[in-house]
Amino acid sequence: MASLFPIFLVLAITLGLMSASFLFVRKGPNQAVIRTSLMLTFAVCYLTWMVTYLAQLHPLMVPTFSAPPAHTA
Amino acid sequence: MSDDYPSLLRSERMSLVQLFVPTEVAHDTVHELGELGDVQFKDLNPSVNPFQRSFVGEIRRIDDMARRTRFFDAQIEKEKDVVPVRPLYECAPLLTVGPRSAQTVDELDTTLSQYESKLTTLNESYQTLSERTRELTEARHVLRETAVFFDKAHTQTTNIRSSFDDSATPLLTSHDDREGGYSSGSFDLEFVAGTIERSRVPTFERVLWRVLRGNLYMNHTDIAEPFIDPSTNAETRKNVFIIFAHGDVVLAKIRKVAESMGATIFPIDANADKRADALREVENRLEDLQTVLYNTGIGRRSELVKIGESLRVWQDVVKKEKLIYETLNLFNYDVRRKTLIAEAWVPTRDLTKIQLALRHATEESGTSVPPILHELQTSKTPPTFHRTNKFTEGFQAIMDSYGISAYQEINPGLFAITTFPFLFAVMFGDIGHGFIILIAAVYMILREKAMAKQDNGEIIGQFFYGRYIILMMGLFSIYTGFLYNDLFSKTLHLFHSGWTFPDNSTRGVYTGHTYPFGLDPAWHGATNALVFTNSYKMKMSIVLGVIHMTFALCLQVPNHFRFKRKSDIYTNFIPQMLFLQSIFGYLVLCILYKWSVDWTKSPVSPPSLLNMLITMFLEPGKVDPEKQLYPGQGFVQTVLLGIAGVCVPWLLISKPYLAWREMHKTTGAGYVTLGNGEETAIARHSTDETLEGEEEGNGRAIAEGDEEHEGHDFGDVVIHQIIHTIEFCLGCISHTASYLRLWALSLAHAQLSEVLWSMTLDGRTDPKSIGGWIGLGIMGFMWLNLTIGILCLMEGLSAFLHALRLHWVEGNSKHFEGGGYPFAPLSFAGEGSKEA
Repeated sequence: MASLFPIFLVLAITLGLMSASFLFVRKGPNQAVIRTSLMLTFAVCYLTWMVTYLAQLHPLMVPTFSAPPAHTA
Repeated sequence: MSDDYPSLLRSERMSLVQLFVPTEVAHDTVHELGELGDVQFKDLNPSVNPFQRSFVGEIRRIDDMARRTRFFDAQIEKEKDVVPVRPLYECAPLLTVGPRSAQTVDELDTTLSQYESKLTTLNESYQTLSERTRELTEARHVLRETAVFFDKAHTQTTNIRSSFDDSATPLLTSHDDREGGYSSGSFDLEFVAGTIERSRVPTFERVLWRVLRGNLYMNHTDIAEPFIDPSTNAETRKNVFIIFAHGDVVLAKIRKVAESMGATIFPIDANADKRADALREVENRLEDLQTVLYNTGIGRRSELVKIGESLRVWQDVVKKEKLIYETLNLFNYDVRRKTLIAEAWVPTRDLTKIQLALRHATEESGTSVPPILHELQTSKTPPTFHRTNKFTEGFQAIMDSYGISAYQEINPGLFAITTFPFLFAVMFGDIGHGFIILIAAVYMILREKAMAKQDNGEIIGQFFYGRYIILMMGLFSIYTGFLYNDLFSKTLHLFHSGWTFPDNSTRGVYTGHTYPFGLDPAWHGATNALVFTNSYKMKMSIVLGVIHMTFALCLQVPNHFRFKRKSDIYTNFIPQMLFLQSIFGYLVLCILYKWSVDWTKSPVSPPSLLNMLITMFLEPGKVDPEKQLYPGQGFVQTVLLGIAGVCVPWLLISKPYLAWREMHKTTGAGYVTLGNGEETAIARHSTDETLEGEEEGNGRAIAEGDEEHEGHDFGDVVIHQIIHTIEFCLGCISHTASYLRLWALSLAHAQLSEVLWSMTLDGRTDPKSIGGWIGLGIMGFMWLNLTIGILCLMEGLSAFLHALRLHWVEGNSKHFEGGGYPFAPLSFAGEGSKEA
């Protein structure tokens, strides 16, 4: 089930959100600030999520415990 | 980005304007412009001594008034009972513009001097009265104590009489005759009585003994209450003494010695009745003095209360007037035409606003001659002005602390609004701690208006200034907290985990389903959790770091376009970008690629990226097929290494080569390089030479590209480029490694959080007895305090500092030029700064 598809899907969503914020923020004294902040926020949030997801996609090590863990998945 | 609105992307376009101000309207014009806070005046008389400037007299008068207000402030401070001072926004305003303004200021001057003289006389009389009170109190003590002496001696007469026959010797026989009256004139003992400081008493006794060879009898007692000196508030303790001796010479000597030792001598009568009278008189006078003193105090207090009602508005007026006259001193005074000429920097966008203000000032002052505003062409570098609001000013301030941007260069502050809180959050990621700092920020923002008025103190004031930064930091920290799955060192199980533990095993089995958002909670408590998270966080730091540096590098390009040096894109930007990407961009791609490959299905075991990078440099082209990341790796890496190798001489040589070619072109065409490029600036109304000296930041001739050639020294370009190349290439490596602090701090934060939990609340969350509940309470309290103090405040400040460093060093070195000087308009709000 783990595949690269979600990465590209969320990338597309992020790019969509970034374009929307570029196009639809209304003109005003704060347009530059709002646009830049929104676009950068979407970009960095995507980046960190993507890295975290990708790091766990095909894990190279398994979690080991000293005693069987009590919690359920 | 549109030009209708100011943008934080670059500093505002500024114009140099010249103002022709008729003298009658000068004061009101400056007042109006000061209220506006949008104009930075230049000093047109830099060579003139401050004592020779035109408005020195007015400034002296204002200074006198300022001194008087300071005096009032000090007097109000000294009052024991607090005198209420009405704050500025509640005071009735004083109108200092318009036709009656001069009168108002004159009236203020007289009022202030009147109050001052009144207060000074009151203070002086209070002083003298206190002195008199003190003297009289001492006299009263002396009278009382001497009465005691005489009574005592009276009772002892008989004893003494019996021991000595010689009537001349015993000193105390006299008192009997004394009772009868002083007028006996026969053998009687005279005495000297007075007060002296307690510390001097033994010395006094010894000196007297030696001087008079023992021919005296001295008695002294302590005065219980200390005397307080009203001016210094120092306490002195005194003693009453009485010295019996015989003979004028002896008495004279005693008096002299007493005076030299600082004692006060009081005339005491031997007769008991007369002493009683004297005592009564002293008491009466003391009472009168106390009443007068009390009334003086009341009078003084009422004066101070009256002053307190208007003191703040007086101080405000004085401050503004001083600023206005200091500004007027900067103008050029044309006596013949009775006008003042001013030069000022003004944001081009605000020119109409300034025009309106000038017209408004003319209307207010009642004259009909408006000041004339006139734009000048100039090649001088204007000040850098970023128009910020209460949200952006904090971010702009922290980026300005590194250096003020050059005029019209790309402003790193705009991007820092997002990237700074983000990099902070990568180091601070914890939902709980992020939430705590978010609440703190929201609280400060909700109480903005109230907190802005009061004096919060240095530390709280700093936090208040950065409240919007803290808000953003909190929001991003909550997001990265969800990604790290860390809530006060606990994990959240929001989705199905990707690991199962079949048959109670201690080793997890991957289900094939990746935890969709953040770190899988199965890692929490695992013995090898740190191994996994370290690898993850280190690689994430490198990925984020290279992307941040690439972004910062790209910010160079708009600067090259704006400052008309398109060649720099080919000589600087492209080689830098290629160098960075061919090594570290490649590393990032390898990291992402290695993660995306399912290594269980690959014939090759996953290679170490670190070794791969090292062998890329040490053994280019040779890649062991057992350790390859992808087929064809050897060839690709050689190509990349080649590109990086070419970029270094490209970066080093191309720009100096272009400059050398330019130089040959201009010298070949017969031009001679001039010594100082500034002198060829376009002719202007005002003199260039005088203004040159005090102009800061005019070394950046890059801003107006046309004048570049004359001032350029080829040697400078070469040296600059060498430094730039070395700095960039070495910097690439060191800065990339520097981003590992993102991993280091987040690791430290997570570990601290865990340790705190395990040392306080771990195991106590299910109390089974009263003792358990008490333990829970105490430990919970400790946990909360340490969370806020260490994890939020200390770690927060640490992450703040490191995020800021990343912006200043790693980020700014890729594009920032700096060297601008800040726009410092005349403004009555705040401290009212003057121009540079």
